[in-house]
Amino acid sequence: MKIRFHRQRPAPADHLGMSRRMFLMTTTFAGVTTAGLLGPAGRLSAAALDGAQSATLLRVVQDIYPHPDLLSLAHYQAIADSVGADADEDAAKAAALTDGLARLDALAQSLYGKPYVEVEESDAREGLLRAFQNEAFFQDVRWTAYFAIYDNKEIWPLFGYEGSSVEHGGYIDRGFSDITFVPQGPTLEERIAQVQQ
Amino acid sequence: MATFDLNNDGVVVIIGSGAGGGTLANELAQKGIDVVVLEAGKRFDLGDIENDEWAMFNKISWLDKRISAGGWHGAVNHPSLPTWIVKGFGGSTIHWAGVSLRYKEYELKTRTTYGEITDANVEDWPIDLDELVPWYEKAELKMGVTGRTTGMPHLPWNNGFRVLAEGCRRTGRKNYNSGPMAINSVERDDRPACQQIGFCMQGCAIGAKWSTMYTELPRAEDTGHCEIRTDAMALMIEHDASGKVTGVVYADAEGNRQRQKARLVCVAGNSIESPRLLLNSASTMFPDGLANSSGQVGRNYMTHATAGCYAVLPEKVHMFRGTAVAGIVGDEVRNDPARGFKGGYTLEFLSLGLPFMAAFLEPGNTGWGRSVARALEQYDRMSGVWVVGEDLAQEQNRITLHDSEVDQYGLPVPIVAKTPHNNDTEMVNHAYEVTAEIYESVGATDVYELPAYPATHNMGTNRMHADPSKGVVNAYGQSHDIANLFVSDGSQFTSSGACNPTLTIVALAIRQAEYIAREMSANNI
Repeated sequence: MKIRFHRQRPAPADHLGMSRRMFLMTTTFAGVTTAGLLGPAGRLSAAALDGAQSATLLRVVQDIYPHPDLLSLAHYQAIADSVGADADEDAAKAAALTDGLARLDALAQSLYGKPYVEVEESDAREGLLRAFQNEAFFQDVRWTAYFAIYDNKEIWPLFGYEGSSVEHGGYIDRGFSDITFVPQGPTLEERIAQVQQ
Repeated sequence: MATFDLNNDGVVVIIGSGAGGGTLANELAQKGIDVVVLEAGKRFDLGDIENDEWAMFNKISWLDKRISAGGWHGAVNHPSLPTWIVKGFGGSTIHWAGVSLRYKEYELKTRTTYGEITDANVEDWPIDLDELVPWYEKAELKMGVTGRTTGMPHLPWNNGFRVLAEGCRRTGRKNYNSGPMAINSVERDDRPACQQIGFCMQGCAIGAKWSTMYTELPRAEDTGHCEIRTDAMALMIEHDASGKVTGVVYADAEGNRQRQKARLVCVAGNSIESPRLLLNSASTMFPDGLANSSGQVGRNYMTHATAGCYAVLPEKVHMFRGTAVAGIVGDEVRNDPARGFKGGYTLEFLSLGLPFMAAFLEPGNTGWGRSVARALEQYDRMSGVWVVGEDLAQEQNRITLHDSEVDQYGLPVPIVAKTPHNNDTEMVNHAYEVTAEIYESVGATDVYELPAYPATHNMGTNRMHADPSKGVVNAYGQSHDIANLFVSDGSQFTSSGACNPTLTIVALAIRQAEYIAREMSANNI
């Protein structure tokens, strides 16, 4: 199922620009971690994954839900860590993940002559990932990322979402009808008159 | 609360505690008729309600094994979740949004109005609107529906609906408002006024929205004529040699089988479980299942022709602030075949929280990547609608039983098959275009089209028909085949209309209670 993105305007150039900036930032960072600068206590590499695969996983997580303007690298690293921790708990999952990441790199090598993390075009990387989107290892990573980003109360404010309101008495005094670019709705008197004709 | 002996064969057994079962239980108990309600789910109260989409989904949804089949996208993208309904005390009235629309006359007479439609099984209800109006009024008073019947004003307009309403005004539409809703706009019936909390579909935390959980069910218990057993999953309805039903076998909380005897049985388990129970009750005398001489049990499964459509506005909207369904657009509810389809559709403003928007913007394995991420960055500038269109009944859209797979009760897993009719597809495409036009008139930059959600509106699988060869029940929901067996939920609907089913379920339940009381007094049942 592919939904039709109805009348969607082209992405603004700065969005793509930010993606590229973030890409460079990440690959540098990944290089740092694989160089072991975080020391033996560093939590970035799951036991199941070697340094290169940890870097691939981090890049994959960023490419699944790329929000270069909203989220920091630490957000994505936390997701990759969580995926790694799950793999450490479950040998079958770990095998599927390492195998899947290896095949992703193999596909990148065969098409672009370089590993996944070194493919610079985000479109190209998304295209590589699409080849794996019906596989369980990919969907495990994807849903881990989904819950960590969109069902995460710490992150909600970055998207303008305010969540639970009952403990604050609802939104009735907190902006449920505060926009100014369209007219106000009917007043209480008008609403009463409507139903008492 | 009263308690009744398992061998008491004078009680009415009602299966389900939602809009149909919960209302019927209270109506009968208020008349002094003894009732046992079997509710498959747990007992809930207001303390269980949280403003959290996934926490509530996991807490209250019906998640027993089901197989989603047919040609709709959910057979791939929601393979084990064809529906989005509740298992628990209060049933899907915990989850419903509160929209309380009445059927239009033509929607009750679809065969007469539309004629025969290829590949569809369109029929007339054995009731007309004039007959239903007094029952609608009773339902509106009971539930506290904003509008003329109660005199309660419609709710104040929130941001998301104000955007939609302005688009409607600019595109020449006339029929849009913030009601009728079964949500208190003022304190009424011992329940508070709406505080614009949002999360209506996760359960109203203060009880401003009508739900049987804190109205019909406790009131029925207070009469001393109603016992509600939760964690009680009906397995089979039994009958005697004369073909009358005699009781219900159910699994209790410990998984033990119990047999509650009954004078009559009313099935109100929603449109999957109700036909499933009738089919699972097949016997030598009724080899195709109870009440199924017409062969229509489980068929004509309707969900509404539906979709979501979300527009991105130039400024912040914060659509999640306030009532989830904050407004209703009725201009497209008319039969105008020149549009390329029969029947019409309602557009209902519907806010989704960020978690559900991210899950349903593009459901399934493909819903990730740059286009999805970019759309979600526009979340706080979105307003959107849910489309509730008339879904044509088709015999092949149906509930059947899996021949080997069973659930935790040992019952065959239901297969829920749904393929949209071309009429549905044409209608939904029209609704996408109209919604885009409305929102573009207020400056929308992007408009996202969402496919159908797992269905909360489930109808038609034990349909009413005047002719016993074409339907399962008569105009009172009474089985044509078995006089003391009734259907009391949305599965008795003959057509789906373009309106949310709850108000009509409640109206029919009140009417059915009157009929049952009368027929019991006359010793006809």
